[in-house]
Amino acid sequence: MILRLVVAALLLFITLPTVVVIAVSFNPTAILSFPPSGLSLRWYENVLTYPQFQRAAVNSLVVTGAAVALALPVGTLAALALERGRLRGRNAWAVLLLSPLVVPGVAAGLGFLILAAALGLLRSRSVLIAAHVALVLPFVVRAVWVSVRNLDPALERAAASLGAAPSHVFRRVTLPLLKPGLFAALLFAVVVSLNEFVVSLFISNRVTEILPVAMFTYVVNYTDPTIAALSSLFIVATFVVVWLADRYLDLARVFLQH
Amino acid sequence: MTTVVVELRGCTRDYGAVRAVDALDLSVHESEFLALLGPSGCGKTTTLNLIAGFVPPTAGRVFLDGDDVTDRPPHLRGLGMVFQSYALFPHLSVRENVAFGLRERRVPAREIERRVGDALELVRLDRAGRQRPGELSGGMQQRVALARALVYRPRVLLLDEPLAALDKKLREGMRDELRAIQRSVGITTIFVTHDQAEALGLSDRIAVMNRGRIEQLGAPREIYEHPATRFVADFIGASTVLRGRAVANDRVAVAGVTLVVTSGALSSGADVELAIRPERVQLVPGGGDNVVEARVEGLVYQGAQTELTARLRDDQRVLALVTEPAPAPLEVGQTVRLHLPADAFMVLA
Amino acid sequence: MLATRDVKLALLPALVVLAVFAAALGSLFRWSFLEFVPGSLQTGGLTLANLRAVLAPQYLATIRDTVVLSALTTLLTLVAAYPVAYALARTPSRRVRSTILVLTLAPFFTGAIVRTYAWILVLGNTVITWPVPMLFTERGVLVGLVHFSMPTMILILAAALSHIDPVYERAATSLGASPARVFWRVTLPLSMPGIVSGGLIVFAWTLSAFPTPELLGGGKVKMIANVVKDLGALALTLALLAAVGRLTAGRAS
Repeated sequence: MILRLVVAALLLFITLPTVVVIAVSFNPTAILSFPPSGLSLRWYENVLTYPQFQRAAVNSLVVTGAAVALALPVGTLAALALERGRLRGRNAWAVLLLSPLVVPGVAAGLGFLILAAALGLLRSRSVLIAAHVALVLPFVVRAVWVSVRNLDPALERAAASLGAAPSHVFRRVTLPLLKPGLFAALLFAVVVSLNEFVVSLFISNRVTEILPVAMFTYVVNYTDPTIAALSSLFIVATFVVVWLADRYLDLARVFLQH
Repeated sequence: MTTVVVELRGCTRDYGAVRAVDALDLSVHESEFLALLGPSGCGKTTTLNLIAGFVPPTAGRVFLDGDDVTDRPPHLRGLGMVFQSYALFPHLSVRENVAFGLRERRVPAREIERRVGDALELVRLDRAGRQRPGELSGGMQQRVALARALVYRPRVLLLDEPLAALDKKLREGMRDELRAIQRSVGITTIFVTHDQAEALGLSDRIAVMNRGRIEQLGAPREIYEHPATRFVADFIGASTVLRGRAVANDRVAVAGVTLVVTSGALSSGADVELAIRPERVQLVPGGGDNVVEARVEGLVYQGAQTELTARLRDDQRVLALVTEPAPAPLEVGQTVRLHLPADAFMVLA
Repeated sequence: MLATRDVKLALLPALVVLAVFAAALGSLFRWSFLEFVPGSLQTGGLTLANLRAVLAPQYLATIRDTVVLSALTTLLTLVAAYPVAYALARTPSRRVRSTILVLTLAPFFTGAIVRTYAWILVLGNTVITWPVPMLFTERGVLVGLVHFSMPTMILILAAALSHIDPVYERAATSLGASPARVFWRVTLPLSMPGIVSGGLIVFAWTLSAFPTPELLGGGKVKMIANVVKDLGALALTLALLAAVGRLTAGRAS
């Protein structure tokens, strides 16, 4: 009973900022107050019409789209190799593939900045995309790997014994069975890339910056609830995605397995 | 009458729509070794958990030494338990595992030392104290689990399929050892198993369970020789059960033959079920009393004997064990004569 | 079903990605040993001067503050995450598990900026009037860092806890241990691997935390990453100015 109360309180702590942001986003005045004195959509209007946000939104879509399109096949192949490749030192390979997760964002960001400067690529989005691929890859590998590990190799042998050529086995058995893992990987990749901030801050400028960076700049310079409105949009989108993922994928399986 | 140590009164346990234990009454006496025997899903493990306190009953009460302990949490019931997987703590040494219960009882360190030593000696593991459970063989782990459950002298010892995880040869050795230790300590023991040989060999009494109820409760010999129901007869040594109609108080008509049945008085005209064990059915060359004709349907060679399945004229199935070498070569489809001794029948309720 | 050799080749694209990542880190590493030429991204010869400069008192103080703050964050996060992780790993109800998981994962996936901005609102006396100043203090940064680390810690601890067979806890109970004693003598020691790995990850992440101290510290609380950003941004600005200057000069001539 006490445990339940404690857990509820802690979950409240986790959710509190989210609730406050959403409440504040409907605040009618520029001076923040809670609870709001009325309801207004003006900050949402502001979000949608602010030119720098529009530009950053396009950048976010381009960078995330490109990064995910690259990371998904690369990560899936790596996960298959990890489980099926009979690699020597498989755990070492796994650690290596997951390693971008533990590199400090500031270090990676500064590193990419120096690299970009050396290559003369500071003005293009290519370094931004490359960095996002590397940062998203661990999530893809992990999600797909769990699926591959739960895949009984006997099913593929059965398909082969029924006369399917290797490429058919892959298309008709392996891929459909991996679908939940691939879907989870897609979701994680999109969400992580859309929210990436620290590394992107270093390697983007006013022209190439993505939404979180634009939001950061805005927060530093202005105090009105426009960011609350944009944050609310992010939060609602994330909640919907995570909730859908849990409904259809059983997230407990993905996250609670080693 | 001996003292009742554990008593269940009308205990029922539901899991959702499933009734695992159904209005169960059971008394376990001082120093007795009682087996709860039945197939998986019969409610025997739930019954054990009701006694241990891990599962509260949906209805009914649990008594320990006459006290109502239904609402008492498991750690205050003072019982000892050996789990099917042993559940030896992997982060503690053998010694620390055995000392666990004593430390919970705030026994002084010196006495813990002495009693853990004694307990390990009792299970012949006095040299393994420093090792981790993971380094021990299955049989040794089993003995550590036993020492851990006995060292604080619990009122009752609960054993949940303690031999199931061992291979066959080790199991037989451990069975004798378990019985010897239980005798020497003299502790009241409740033992859950699905293995009828284990139950017959170890227990003072057996409770055969089916669908959350006790089908029959009695001494091993009584259960084996006088099964009360078709389920018990079938579960304890796969028996043949024949349906027939009593024509006199010791005569039953089955498949057009009148059989003499010496066990129990029958009321004429009633439908009866007769059980007979395959080892009592004999292959005979000629006719006589209690001899039936049957058609061989299946033969399974088992080395020392052959298991023969045959159909009577009314299609009822009879199982027989024929000692090798068989008196004559047997073939499927052949007609044989089977002698069903009058004193071999068990009349089912 | 691919042949073993093909399967090994499948690792190649991922290794290319990692190589790019390693190249970025490598150039950072190399840069740290190069002589700094003011006003330029160009660098001179090899030197240890940069490392010596880090040992200046102002940086040493930042490093010390960062380590202390990170250690505190790790400790508080462990304490706060454990009950939630326990509930997540042990609840028999799928609905409760889903609720906890979604509530935990949503902030995990909501970016650092959104979450930090939210804490600016909460700590800035808009919702609650705090008895002591929170925003732009170490206290406030600590709250933000704990909140930021909790989802990760919950997931790691829950994974560790869900790998403990509940039969050990039952066994301890049958031996006479009360629920609190079962936790202390069995559950906690068996979850140690999760505590260690979760603690290490949170500590490492917090050491390099950037947006939380940047926004919640308001320039008054500096952690290592904020100093790095300041220096990096300065170098970059100077370099760009120099480049622009050269371009303009070139066009003019």
